[in-house]
Order: sequence, then structure tokens, then C-alpha cells
Amino acid sequence: MDLFIQFLTNTGYYLADYRHLIMLVVGSTFIYLAIAKKYEPLLLLPIGFGVIVGNIPFFKGFGLGIYEPNSVLHYLYFGVTTGLYPSIVFLGLGAMTDFSSLLVRPKLMLLGAAAQMGIYFTLLSALAFGFLPKEAASIAIIGGADGPTSIFLTAKLAPHLIGPVAIAAYSYMALIPIIQPPIMRLLTTRKERLIKMPDIERTVSRRELLLFPVIGVVLCCFLAPASIPLLGTFFFGNIMKVSGVVDRLAKTAASSIIDTATIFLGLTVGASTQGDVFLTPKSVGIFVLGAVAFSIATASGVLFAKLMNLFTKTKINPLLGAAGVSAVPGSAREVHLVGQREDPSN
Amino acid sequence: MYGLEAIQASNGWAMAITGAIIVMVGLTILSFIISQLHRIIDIVDNRKSKKLNARNQAEISEPQPVLPSLSNLSETMNRFKPLTQKIGDPFDLTALFQIFIHHGDPHPHLTIRSLREQGYLISTGEGLFSWKHQ
Repeated sequence: MDLFIQFLTNTGYYLADYRHLIMLVVGSTFIYLAIAKKYEPLLLLPIGFGVIVGNIPFFKGFGLGIYEPNSVLHYLYFGVTTGLYPSIVFLGLGAMTDFSSLLVRPKLMLLGAAAQMGIYFTLLSALAFGFLPKEAASIAIIGGADGPTSIFLTAKLAPHLIGPVAIAAYSYMALIPIIQPPIMRLLTTRKERLIKMPDIERTVSRRELLLFPVIGVVLCCFLAPASIPLLGTFFFGNIMKVSGVVDRLAKTAASSIIDTATIFLGLTVGASTQGDVFLTPKSVGIFVLGAVAFSIATASGVLFAKLMNLFTKTKINPLLGAAGVSAVPGSAREVHLVGQREDPSN
Repeated sequence: MYGLEAIQASNGWAMAITGAIIVMVGLTILSFIISQLHRIIDIVDNRKSKKLNARNQAEISEPQPVLPSLSNLSETMNRFKPLTQKIGDPFDLTALFQIFIHHGDPHPHLTIRSLREQGYLISTGEGLFSWKHQ
């Protein structure tokens, strides 16, 4: 009987407390959003399931949990803490990205710069809330709305915040259809949303497409060498795609490699949200600030597009400003949908 | 520490302003370079095509080889017949080729080919040739 009781006290049912239950509900919600609502399923499904896996209670010291050395999850989590997965994800993103439209209208790049203003506002807000500068920087990057970048930076600056930052970043990326449209509509008039931009005036030569990744990596990485692990792989992936001489490699990077990294990234980030380390006032603060960061990033992109229209002959549809946040391709898709809702022929 | 005091203590204002300026300036420079990229490529291409055109023009203005007419071939044979005496009869076409070059024939291959085709040079076997008997 003692043995049976001992067994029962070792089970997750006995060890569970309210924090585990809350996180199980959070994980299930993510899975629901991914499957039923199709909100960023590629991210939310692995993260949601990871949250459930990471919040099954166990006896510490048996090498089971993600924070215990020698556990399988710990080894898989290595790719997150070292920034390996984000780097691989960027390789795949580069191999998928077509820069033709950007090369035809390079001024649109400024919308991306403007949309980063959410980062600086959130940095100040996080400092004001009492976060340390490195923690504040990790939280602020949520305003860039790019999951892998948020994870990469947080792994370097404030590793203890990876879980909440990653979950916040990916949650807001998944909630783009809910967060962005009201802000876009609030800041633009119907007339502005109806602006039709002229078709692309010229075709982009192969040489331009080939030169862009080289110029991009040199300019950006010389300016900010800390971006080498992400931008280096990103532009490498892109040159593989546009060169046309290593189609096999480009296809692999854009499919199997990025998919593998996404699976392990999502699962381990989800599993890193163990209730006892995740459910803290700091995490709540990060979620609030993340929402602020994302909203301000969207708003500043839209407002900057409106500002550009004051000085340019060819008017830009200010909705495009919302696509300046790095939530690729969710934001761009949402902008397209909002624009089409106003004018289906646009 | 919280609020404005915390921002001040962490040098937050300077960090935010510097960061925003770096991103804005960096992307402005990148977008400017990208906007000029196709022009730079066009300039390089134009220069190349100009060079190529100039070369083609030069090639066009060079005198084109004109196939020697039959009367010219007869004259050529009469002119070179005495000159080939020193290489013997029958002779090797390589030796004839050297004589043509030595005497300034602009297209020795073409001349020899025409002389052969029109029967002014007759094969005597074993790779040797002789002039047509008049």
C-alpha cells in the first residue's frame, strides 16, 4: 500500500498546482487558435503543444525538465539558448524571400524603419516599469514583431526571459488579424485606404537581385556586427535562391531545414514556459508591454506612410505602413485583406 | 527605481534616440543605394555595349577579305610563279604560304584555296603541288 501511495505521490496529478493548470489552459488555447482559427498554425501548434509538454509536473532531479541538465528537452532547447534555431530560420526565410518589389520601390524600406519605433517606445516603457536595461531591450524587440529575432536577442541579453518574450512575440504575431486592423482603420481615412498604387514600372534584373544580398549583408553587418548570425544566414539563403545555380540547396533551406528548426523552436519555447518559472509578475508585464510594442509599431508604420505622402508625388497606401513590422508574412497578408475589404479590385 | 527616474538612470532616452536614428539612417542609406542600383548597372552595361559597338565598328571598317577574281588569280599565278622557282617544282603548300606572307599577301590562306579550287595549283601527289601549265 505504501508503495502504491508512493507511486501516486510521484504522479503529475499529485504534483500539479494551479500554475500548471493555468499553463495547460494557455497551451490548449494556442492549439485551438492554430487549428480552429488557423492563426499562424505553423508557430502556435508546436508552441501550444510545447506549453502542455513543459507543464506536466514531475519530480525534479531526474533529468526530465527543460531546465534540467542532460534532459532531452534541455538538449533541444540548446538551439534556442544559443540562437541556433533563429539563425537557421533566417536562412530559410532568406531562401523564400523575393525582393523584387522592394527593389522597384526601395522607399518602402523606410516604412520598415518607422515601424521599428514601437521598439524604442517599449524600451522606455520597460525601463520605466523597473526592468533592467538588458531586460528592457529584450522586451522592446517584441515591437519588431519578429519571433526568431526576439528569441535570439533575449538569449544573448536576458536568457531568463526567453520563455515569456518568445511566447509574447509569437502570440502577438498570431493575433495580427485581431490587433492590426482596428489600428489601421483608426489611423486612416477611407479615401486613404482606397489609394491605388501604380503597377511596378520596371522589371528587376537578375544582376540587381544578385547584388542586393551582397550589398545588404555588407552594409547591415558592418553597421551592426551583432546581426551577423541572423542577417548573414538570411542573405545567404537569398543569394542561393536568386543565383539559380544551387536550386537544390535553396529548396532544402526553404523547406526541410526551416521546418525542422521551426518544429524544435516552437516545441522547446513552449516547453520553456514551466508554470513555476513563467507565471510571475514580470511575465505579465512583458505581455502588457509586448502588446503596447506591437500596437505602436503598427501605428508608427501607418503614420509614417501618411507623412511620406505629404512629400512624394506617387501616393502610398498608408495601410502598407502596418506591413513594416517584421511579422512576415502575416502583416502583409492582413494589409492586403484590409485594403481589399475597402476596394476588392485593389 | 521606476518611471522617468529609471529611464534617466539607465540612459534610456539616449539609447532610444540613438537606436532610432541608426535604424532610420541605415535604412535610408540602404534604400538610396538600392534605388540607384539599376542605374549603376545600366551605366556599366552601357559602357560595355559602347566598347562592344566600337569594336564591332572597327571590325566593320577593316577591309574585308575579297575573294580574288579569276583574272586576279591568273595575275597572282604569273606574279608568284617565278618566285616559287627557288622552292622547286612540285612544291609544298607551306613553302608557298611563306612566300605569300613574305610578299605581303593579306590573305594567303584564301588565295591558296582559291588557286587550288580554280585549278591554278594542281596536285602532283604526296602533298605536293605544281602551277598550272599555260
